[in-house]
Amino acid sequence: MSNPVSFVFSSAFVIIAHAAMLLNVYSSGQFTDVKDFAILAAAVVAMDIVVTILMLTFGQHAHTADFILLLILGASVIFQSCFGGVSFAKKHFITCIAALASCRVGYLLCRDYKWLQTKKKFIWAAIGIMMIVILTLTGSRSMWIDLGFMTIQPSEFIKPLLILACATSIQEQQNKHKILKFDIVYENLILFGIVAAVCLLQWWCRDLGSIPTFAAIYASGFLLRICYPKAKFSTKTLIFAGAAVAAAAVVGIMFAPAYVKERLFADIWNDTSGSGYQQTQALIAVADGGWFGKGPGKGELCNIFAHESDIVFATISEEWGLLFAVMTVLMLLLLVAIPLVNPPRSYFHGTMCAGVCAAFTVQMALNIFGSCNLIPFTGVTLPFIAEGGSSMATSGFMAGMIVAAQSPVIRKIKPKKSAKTAKSRKKGGKAA
Amino acid sequence: MDPQNLLLCAISAAALDLCVLVLIISAYREKSSAKKRWQKISADMELVEQGASYQLTCDEILIGRHASADIRLSDMSVSRYHAMLGVSDGVWTITDLGSKSGTFVNGVPVKKKILHENDIIIIGSRRLTLRKRRDTKK
Amino acid sequence: MKSIRRCLHIITLFLIVFIAGMGYLVYVINRDAPFYMMHSDHLQLGMVYDRTGDVLFDGMGKGTYEDGHFLDFGNLIGDEKGQMDNTLVARNIDKLNNYSFSEGLVREGGKAAIYTTLDHYANRQVYNAFGGAKGCAVAYNYKTGEVLVCTSLPSIDVTKGYENVADMESGTLISKVMYGTVPGSTQKVSTVLSALEIMGVDALYAKRFSCSGQYINKTGKPIDCHQGWGHGEQDIQQAVENSCNPFFAQLIEDDDMPLEQIIEKYRRLGYAVNDDKPTYFDIDGIDCFRASTTLTDKYEFSTQWGCIGQGDTLVSPMQLMMWQSAIANGTGKMTMPRIIDRVSDVYGDISSVSTVEFSEEIFSPSSASTMKQILLTNGANHYQYSIPGFTVGIKSGTAQVKEGAEENALLVGFVDDQRKPIAFCVLLENKYSTPVTAEGIVTTLLNSLG
Repeated sequence: MSNPVSFVFSSAFVIIAHAAMLLNVYSSGQFTDVKDFAILAAAVVAMDIVVTILMLTFGQHAHTADFILLLILGASVIFQSCFGGVSFAKKHFITCIAALASCRVGYLLCRDYKWLQTKKKFIWAAIGIMMIVILTLTGSRSMWIDLGFMTIQPSEFIKPLLILACATSIQEQQNKHKILKFDIVYENLILFGIVAAVCLLQWWCRDLGSIPTFAAIYASGFLLRICYPKAKFSTKTLIFAGAAVAAAAVVGIMFAPAYVKERLFADIWNDTSGSGYQQTQALIAVADGGWFGKGPGKGELCNIFAHESDIVFATISEEWGLLFAVMTVLMLLLLVAIPLVNPPRSYFHGTMCAGVCAAFTVQMALNIFGSCNLIPFTGVTLPFIAEGGSSMATSGFMAGMIVAAQSPVIRKIKPKKSAKTAKSRKKGGKAA
Repeated sequence: MDPQNLLLCAISAAALDLCVLVLIISAYREKSSAKKRWQKISADMELVEQGASYQLTCDEILIGRHASADIRLSDMSVSRYHAMLGVSDGVWTITDLGSKSGTFVNGVPVKKKILHENDIIIIGSRRLTLRKRRDTKK
Repeated sequence: MKSIRRCLHIITLFLIVFIAGMGYLVYVINRDAPFYMMHSDHLQLGMVYDRTGDVLFDGMGKGTYEDGHFLDFGNLIGDEKGQMDNTLVARNIDKLNNYSFSEGLVREGGKAAIYTTLDHYANRQVYNAFGGAKGCAVAYNYKTGEVLVCTSLPSIDVTKGYENVADMESGTLISKVMYGTVPGSTQKVSTVLSALEIMGVDALYAKRFSCSGQYINKTGKPIDCHQGWGHGEQDIQQAVENSCNPFFAQLIEDDDMPLEQIIEKYRRLGYAVNDDKPTYFDIDGIDCFRASTTLTDKYEFSTQWGCIGQGDTLVSPMQLMMWQSAIANGTGKMTMPRIIDRVSDVYGDISSVSTVEFSEEIFSPSSASTMKQILLTNGANHYQYSIPGFTVGIKSGTAQVKEGAEENALLVGFVDDQRKPIAFCVLLENKYSTPVTAEGIVTTLLNSLG
């Protein structure tokens, strides 16, 4: 730990922020038994303290990202516990713990990219396994595997794996092979193939919401890859790429199947009791909440299906006010914006951060703007805020990637002589 | 909405904002400590040319004429992508990227070479020195 | 280093796009929140007031009112419950929304209100003057367009609910003022106006046709006069006063009245002729039926009856009254009626104030003044005693409905008085079933308007 002062301040203020929220719940929340509130408060504060103490033992160099995650998860537990009356959301609390654990795993896996790059094959294998799992277990119109006691959304797990696949294959860009007249990088083709296959699979599952996420991860990875190390953002290329994307979107809309078109152009206010029900109820709730909300636990959106996941932004807006909901979203943005303050030291970690940023912002956009009728409504969850084990675990893992970029391991300084062999293996080993 | 609720709402929002502010400040503090740490990892080296010095702030640095190069040498004798500096375990390595005029360390043409303090690197007609960073220069 | 900076650029790009989207979202929510709220189950509606501040609709339901307070305006003002769609409240419910995004739903003391031009006192007097008979009455200030009286019977007390909606008589849930009815001889006003436009004043006054109680038209069909022994030879003034059907049949057949021109003049008046697409007037959101008729062959029975006021012709009482304003003003331009005078928002700030508007010129000013003279003469000769105390230009009508089983009485007209510029239309259904007369209702109407 290199900054004891900011560590203490950060942990203290995270607890203060949670305490202030809990105070709000206590005084204006709606609960019948004060015990319900006490459990919630104890759980959140205990999580803060335990995680802070654990962090001390981890020996990381930077902790800000961890604290932001802790702040978000605590707030998330409080939000989820208040929907339709205060009662401790035990299941959500457990998934939050899982997210913290998964963040730790993500950090440990990603902090040393040179090591990770040797394990590239495993990442690809994992993606392949996930795809096979989806293909065989979810069925063509579903995105869930029902295990009885819980349901798993396997497509979620592909997101961090795809980010890692993009980031680890970056160095490969140097190894171009001339085929006919084109410089071909084999891994580019492989990666493109993977992304195309994943997107087709999602289409087959009708999980249309996750396709933009994958596309965004790949696009950011691809942009950074073609720039490594032998190019820059040429204005011409960017304009061309933008035009190509726009043209593809137009063509896609023109030839889209009827049910997709219907979703794109439906006016939800013409069908407030049918397909527009969730969205209209969500918007009414946002309007009803106003800037400052009705008070924790006093909302009525909790009777609507998917109030805790797909339209969670509206549920929070109703109970806590639009101001608070927007601030929560800004906290999430702060997590992905941390690399801007404290830039990563290697291109790998930079690419990874960009990938995580792409995944988070696109998911948030799809969820929030979708539920508020700016764009078609898709069943995408809001990272960390929405309930859902798969989403929580993968979001935690992606947060771990950002933590890793903050305190990377670029091999400990050893005596110079002994380092020689390892170093000479470095470049050559990668190219093989 | 009664004023008490409004006040509490404002307090919790303010606490959240304050926390976010503290976290941003601590991120900036961590930035400076990360910088110190990096100096340790990178052996605190810098690359100097007459009158100019280049900070080495990440673990792979491209030297070349191209605008995207991390260290850009606008000189026709330098290839667009000339050489790559890399650091690992506090040791800097230079790798030639198939340049036309070649890369020379201490007068010897190299493909890949471990660098030591005060090594002189010649790239095209440019002459660069790897040396300990001096605090007087920014 | 540049390579790292490129990563940061991409992150910044994503963040900027997202934050821009977020900003737009907040803006959209702020802008559209009242609209969202209109679909909520928990509406807090404001009040509708008449011109003196009397309550016509109480969205909060907190006030106490005497029995039948809302009855006379029931199917014009309506309520938010959705049973009546074409009413002032149903069509302007967004204006009554006691909500703003920053305040939330104002449950107490919200000041959203519609201030109407209506006169509750006069309207109730007119409603009572019907004495249980059915029909409707509408009156407005033809200078300013302010609708003062607009009642339709049978009506509904919206505070009593809709439990017995199945037992209600047909027409209870609509304001008949806004819907088409057979105009009877009031249609002759339109025909005379068309003739004036086509021939000019002198040529029309030169026309004289005789009536012997029945006229066999050029295709061999009889056009009966309501006066069996006939009116003898008449000019246009006498024919209007006598409301003589054979005269008008011969006028239509006259060579100086080409059918295309009649159709053109009718269209200018606002009729949907033959297969024209039916349209509506928008009176503060309320749809008002626009006149329609069928004119195919001027020597044919049905076309002639169309111009006399039976046949396929349908006109709403509102439109009959609006034509009177164009005549009374002498300009040939209708004064557009308005019910909403001003609207206040949840804070009590006046958000919109309506102003007087006129239509396009639907006939020339000279036709207007000639027509005005004809109607005033008619009023002076025939209504001096039945509508005492007012200088009225007036035209009566008797419309046969239900295949001739019932006759409706209509009176359209205006008061020729700058201090009391009232145009009106009264429809009394099944006039032989009631001792009430349309003239009596008009007298009550004019007397109760201060």
